Amino acid sequence: MKERKFTGRILLYVAIIALGLLFAMPFLYTIYTSFISMRNVNTLVGPDQWSFANYYVYFTNEAYDVPQWFLNTLIMTSIVVLGNLIINPMAGFALAKVDFKGKAVVYWIVVATMMIPYHMILIPVYVNVAQLGWLNTFKGLTIPFLYQGLYIFMMRQFFLSVPGEFIEAARIDGLTKMGAFWRIVYPLANSSLITMSILAFSGTWNSYLVPSTLANSPDKYVLVVGLNSVKDLFFENTPMIMAGVVLTTLPILVFFFLFQRQYIEGISASGVKG
Amino acid sequence: MSQYSKQEGRITGRPGFSRLRMLADSDKALGWIFVLPFLVLWCWWFFYPFVQSFVRSFQDANFAALGQAKFIGLENYINILQDKLFYEAVWHSLEIVIISVPVQTFLGLSLAILVNKKLKGKGIFRTVFFVPYITSQIAITTVFMMLFKKGTFLTDFFGKFGFGDVTWFADTRYALLFVCLLFIFQNSGFTMIVYLSGLQEVPKDLYEAGEIDGASGWNKFRFITLPYLKPITFFIVSVTTIVGFQIFDQIAAISRYGALGSPAGATSTVVTYFYQHGIRYMNIGYGSAAVVLFFIIIMLITFLQKKLLDEKG
Repeated sequence: MKERKFTGRILLYVAIIALGLLFAMPFLYTIYTSFISMRNVNTLVGPDQWSFANYYVYFTNEAYDVPQWFLNTLIMTSIVVLGNLIINPMAGFALAKVDFKGKAVVYWIVVATMMIPYHMILIPVYVNVAQLGWLNTFKGLTIPFLYQGLYIFMMRQFFLSVPGEFIEAARIDGLTKMGAFWRIVYPLANSSLITMSILAFSGTWNSYLVPSTLANSPDKYVLVVGLNSVKDLFFENTPMIMAGVVLTTLPILVFFFLFQRQYIEGISASGVKG
Repeated sequence: MSQYSKQEGRITGRPGFSRLRMLADSDKALGWIFVLPFLVLWCWWFFYPFVQSFVRSFQDANFAALGQAKFIGLENYINILQDKLFYEAVWHSLEIVIISVPVQTFLGLSLAILVNKKLKGKGIFRTVFFVPYITSQIAITTVFMMLFKKGTFLTDFFGKFGFGDVTWFADTRYALLFVCLLFIFQNSGFTMIVYLSGLQEVPKDLYEAGEIDGASGWNKFRFITLPYLKPITFFIVSVTTIVGFQIFDQIAAISRYGALGSPAGATSTVVTYFYQHGIRYMNIGYGSAAVVLFFIIIMLITFLQKKLLDEKG
């Protein structure tokens, strides 16, 4: 019996390591290939033949200005996350803790928005952004995305769990209900706000459909769109492409490793409650 | 002078201030104040475009001359429903879902069970399985394109199993399978995390009770774990089905320069179909009609799923 348990454990380790290697392989291949030269592709060479030459190109050529793309992505993502951090909690709080006429309708709107795929409105959004002259501007890339139905719903769920006495006590101390929200309830939502920011951050940072539609001039590329153009440009030069992949995905990976715990908790919470 | 008006402002401002205080404290006003930013943006950037999608679908509208758009009734819909390519696109979308959803559901469950065991380094493995999910689809597609180019060790390896040693994403036989592979690789980390949270919710004393009754490991899994995971499986299948229908990035990435859905339309889906017509060809009316059909398909699936769930109770 004991022996059987032992072989069982060995099998488990074999399975998890094999799957782990399978999942890690594309990443390892990418990192390795980004350091070698074209003629060494798909062969293993020692560290004496590795170099940063492929990376260097991305910082010295204006046609694929990775630092500029990074800045564009950072600006776009920051504005979107900031908007979501203000607009969603306000709406979520109103739906959870404030009694007003038409609340049921607003709630219904939030749920419907959450369920309808964005593709449904992409063409008119593109037309409207173009007619405002907002193509290739941060206005076009951010203003339509400052709120999200799903996050309003998430915030509402959190605020429902906040005891009403907190707000009443704050009002006895002289705060208005609005003051009680910003000073007492909003800080209480800290962990929900962090989860929402992380989801909004990675979602916006990695988005391709919207930025590639609304901003297609190279100086307004975000990293993901830039990477796609680099891939087409250097198609026969795998090491150059791989260096591009590393450069454009590194920021989000660093971000993920910093907030891994909250991120995974956020995902599983959405799964269990959904 | 300035001091005078300042003072006057303060005096006459008092009643105004208390009115403001009332606004900030009464539920009736506060509710609307708080949902206003959302509602303004929603009307402007969701509701209005949403209505436009329907209205345009009945119009002959081109981006270059939107002012001359004219009502043509159901013509766009009739044309789409007579287009062989549309049915091909629908079929491809279905294929992606039919192939990828079961695989990533099963793979996610297996990974979750593995990283839920008491193994050394399971945290590292959990991260390794999850990282593809937070990496951009374009990056993963790019890497896989390099890996599945003719002559790499992978195509060589698959060549031994009867797949030709070809560039997968440029071959009409394998391109769609390639898209499925990308979707599975990327999304299994998500299904794993959701399953993992489900596994951790199973009450421990149920297992203990099972052990007392002499249940084997398999039986414990079959009769305790699986029934517990049923609602989670349903959640995963419905979410990944919808996500599968919306796939765009991977297909856009493999369609170098060419039309979306290349090679030769082998990876066209309902999404690339409407994108190609509505945004690439700027045929707003026709594209919008395709979007409405896409919307109907998604709603139909959601409805069917809900019905299935209600029946099962």
